[in-house]
Amino acid sequence: MSASAVFILDVKGKPLISRNYKGDVAMSEIEHFMPLLVQREEEGALAPLLSHGKVHFLWIKHSNLYLVATTLKNANASLVYSFLYKTVEVFCEYFKELEEESIRDNFVIVYELLDELMDFGFPQTTDSKILQEYITQQGNKLETGKSRVPPTVTNAVSWRSEGIKYKKNEVFIDVIESVNLLVNANGSVLLSEIVGTIKLKVFLSGMPELRLGLNDRVLFELTGRNKNKSVELEDVKFHQCVRLSRFDNDRTISFIPPDGDFELMSYRLSTQVKPLIWIESVIEKFSHSRVEIMVKGGKEYLMRAHFGLPSVEKEEEEGRPPIGVKFEIPYFTVSGIQVRYMKIIEKSGYQALPWVRYITQSGDYQLRTS
Amino acid sequence: MPYLGSEDLVKELKKALCNPHIQADRLRYRNVIQRVIRHMTQGLDMSGVFMEMVKASATVDIVQKKLVYLYMCTYAPLKPDLALLAINTLCKDCSDPNPMVRGLALRSMCSLRMPGVQEYIQQPILNGLRDKASYVRRVAVLGCAKMHNLHGDSEVDGALVNELYSLLRDQDPIVVVNCLRSLEEILKQEGGVVINKPIAHHLLNRMSKLDQWGQAEVLNFLLRYQPRSEEELFDILNLLDSFLKSSSPSVVMGATKLFLILAKKFPHVQTDVLVRVKGPLLAACSSESRELCFAALCHVRQILHSLPGHFSSHYKKFFCSYSEPHYIKLQKVEVLCELVNDENVQQVLEELRGYCTDVSADFSQAAIFAIGGIARTYTDQCVQILTELLGLRQEHITTVVVQTFRDLVWLCPQCTEAVCQALPGCEENIQDSEGKQALIWLLGVHGERIPNAPYVLEDFVENVKSETFPAVKMELLTALLRLFLSRPAECQDMLGRLLYYCIEEEKDMAVRDRGLFYYRLLLVGIDEVKRILCSPKSDPSLGLLEDPAERPVNSWASDFNTLVPVYGRARWATISKCQGAKHHGPELPNTASFATSGTLIPEENKETIQELPDSGALMLVPNLQLTAEYFEKTWLSLKVAHQQVLPWQGAVHADTLQMALQVVNIQTIAMSRAGARPWKAYLSAQDDTGCLFLTELLLEPENSEIQITVKQNEARMETLNSFISVLETVIGTIGNIKS
Repeated sequence: MSASAVFILDVKGKPLISRNYKGDVAMSEIEHFMPLLVQREEEGALAPLLSHGKVHFLWIKHSNLYLVATTLKNANASLVYSFLYKTVEVFCEYFKELEEESIRDNFVIVYELLDELMDFGFPQTTDSKILQEYITQQGNKLETGKSRVPPTVTNAVSWRSEGIKYKKNEVFIDVIESVNLLVNANGSVLLSEIVGTIKLKVFLSGMPELRLGLNDRVLFELTGRNKNKSVELEDVKFHQCVRLSRFDNDRTISFIPPDGDFELMSYRLSTQVKPLIWIESVIEKFSHSRVEIMVKGGKEYLMRAHFGLPSVEKEEEEGRPPIGVKFEIPYFTVSGIQVRYMKIIEKSGYQALPWVRYITQSGDYQLRTS
Repeated sequence: MPYLGSEDLVKELKKALCNPHIQADRLRYRNVIQRVIRHMTQGLDMSGVFMEMVKASATVDIVQKKLVYLYMCTYAPLKPDLALLAINTLCKDCSDPNPMVRGLALRSMCSLRMPGVQEYIQQPILNGLRDKASYVRRVAVLGCAKMHNLHGDSEVDGALVNELYSLLRDQDPIVVVNCLRSLEEILKQEGGVVINKPIAHHLLNRMSKLDQWGQAEVLNFLLRYQPRSEEELFDILNLLDSFLKSSSPSVVMGATKLFLILAKKFPHVQTDVLVRVKGPLLAACSSESRELCFAALCHVRQILHSLPGHFSSHYKKFFCSYSEPHYIKLQKVEVLCELVNDENVQQVLEELRGYCTDVSADFSQAAIFAIGGIARTYTDQCVQILTELLGLRQEHITTVVVQTFRDLVWLCPQCTEAVCQALPGCEENIQDSEGKQALIWLLGVHGERIPNAPYVLEDFVENVKSETFPAVKMELLTALLRLFLSRPAECQDMLGRLLYYCIEEEKDMAVRDRGLFYYRLLLVGIDEVKRILCSPKSDPSLGLLEDPAERPVNSWASDFNTLVPVYGRARWATISKCQGAKHHGPELPNTASFATSGTLIPEENKETIQELPDSGALMLVPNLQLTAEYFEKTWLSLKVAHQQVLPWQGAVHADTLQMALQVVNIQTIAMSRAGARPWKAYLSAQDDTGCLFLTELLLEPENSEIQITVKQNEARMETLNSFISVLETVIGTIGNIKS
């Protein structure tokens, strides 16, 4: 990939801030972006990729901002989108919320970050934890030239600095499973899947070696254990720190973790489970000015709503939005996944405590209405 | 901030920057500088305070330095003379004890983008390459490419290139990847960075240490490596296996592409890879980022072109969700249409049927067209659904259904009866040109089976004066004439009226001419009209509406993970065409780069184009003049560098071929006369480094192949390969034109 320039535009398409990385695309090209976007939208052909002459615009929208990368090359689209999302992520970690106001208020840091994230159109250091070591919010405080190079910038393990110290060594493990469900208007389940993530919050000194044990079916089969209480994980993906070769060999999840919060792994299960929450709904239009909606959820709740509507009708047909459900169930995983152990070894030999928490929550949980 | 006061503003800021009191108070000084940058960001011209800003760069405050350097990079092209003053400070900072400062200064200096700066940055870059801090080395390595671009891409500094090659062994992963990027830029005219066996293996071993950007980049560079043996090939595939499951979608895509390209001679390996990435691709298709999801869907469609059944069992993953943006829904509908099979057709159709009544007219029409597409295989079920849709009496639905019917009776004549029964009444719900044309066409061609066809057409004839679309009138003329042939009694009168109107009153020239044409045709006699109008109804061999044949994986593997599938092939073709045209414009009158020769190639022949469209490596010089004698002498003195055969159909059109070759700067020295057997041609070309390519084309009689023999005066594999792929492209394009 190589981006010629990156722009952050307000909702009207006016550049708030931009960085010209390569100098091979005139910065004025961005003026074509918004008219083009509007035109495509009117044609019903809007896509996250637009072109004007030789220039390709790859863009994403975040709250009231457009982030646009321009390039002349037949680039790798998903890489450019990933970079733009990474940029958003980094900004969010700095300003909590990324929006027009936060860009205006922090333009110095935004410039500093854009400078470090990319050089000559190529992504450089994009890890926000590492960036935070040398670009600080307290930029307004005067430093007298003694700002040190963080060791991470020169480290072999690029995701963790040396010399981290904690009084109390702890690891918090969150096992979060989201249930995606799509139910047809006639009540048949079209899609049901579980997307799981294991997130870690690491407060450990030094360079610890961690090993995580799960009730993974493949592992249980390998070791000849009873596989009844095991879970078959699909599409397992790991953070960069996990040694993939070891996982492929003997299903061991071993790694040197980054400091603080990060997502260790994600997985998917497409085995159909009984829907956790079921909803029946009846929408009846008695006349053009009265609608009755009845929603029945599980065993306990029934909602009956009558709407008296104005007698003026819209000409167009109305959409039938589905019923979305949001829920959270603590101390429970639908898949039955369990953390069997977390071993923490550091050369100084300290004792560290792992804490585990399980949550099941709604993902994209939708029941269509008729 | 209005532009009005900007002059005063500059004056005020200038005063503030010069004020010794402010300069003495660091915080106030920095605040003034921040104001300058803020105004610059808002688009005000702040170049007036350049001198004062240069002075402000002499500070120990690193944030202030950053701001000043940013300012200098922005305005240096406008004030090159003043910018040179800043060079001193920058050079000094390049040897600051703090590596952050060294890196910052070097990066800024290399980004000044003004003439004359090269001589100052060369030494700092060289020092930077050997800096002990990797932060500085990263900057210096990319600085090499920036410096090269400032030189106007002219000469390549061999020593520098060697130094960069050796830095591929650097400890720091980002330095390594930056080296590749930098070399690629510097050597772009020679085909980019060379990935030989030691480099390839070194990179493979470093892969796991790289971040996702680096991994994606290296996977892309490895595309140009040719394993020496099958064993090595499979070793590489094994080594990279885990990247097919990376958590970064771009790494998954990059790895997939590399596998497909490396295994291009092993179709079963390719299929296996596509099976393995099914999961990751499906996950990307439901990614939280809509853009990544969109890109993944585009690639799924690409794969389906070659393996139609590939995602069939996962069809539910492609059901649309209410809140998804339009572009994702449209892609999903396309995907659904392509993965339909006996098992899932019922469910897919049911789902699509639901979309047909969506509030968005665009989406509902896309769903109807999709059902029309599926109807080519599952005709009865689809025609039934489509017929039911007509019952809704919605204009935007009816028009698309009728258009779908028109295409369907052409391809699946067995459904004609059902369609004819569904049509009556449609005319009341059609207002747009496309829909009217489709309906009129159907009534004309199959009117003998639709009892009220003449009366519907009569309505159109009655209202022809107020009809706004000429295309509808044309269609009406043809349809009525056709129907007249099968039902003369009912049509004769109105045909006369229509012809009269079209010839005497119609203002549109094309409609009038069509009217006159039919009128004269009728004068010749009814048999003649029948012969002309009712000769075979359609020629399936035209293949206009038919499904494109399954494409082999190798035909799109090189486009995988580029913008091509994301735009869609057709749209990409128009975009690159327009880009190519511009590229040949006045800025670069003397070079026709190879990359732009893509404009010549119609999409279907894309498979013959080289695999790395990015590396516009070979530059052939235009207007090369070689005498026939010189050519002959050189030809005889050289050994054959490359020989291959390409498919060829029909006779040779000398002019077309010569012209096509000319476009890519290959000159024709001599050619046999047309029809000669065997037919021969001699071609010459030279690249910008002086390397000559002499070529013989030989077409044997009764052979559908053309033999190419290439000789080269310097043995250089990369350029030879590029040259051959240019030649292949031209010949592939011309040779496939049916005469």
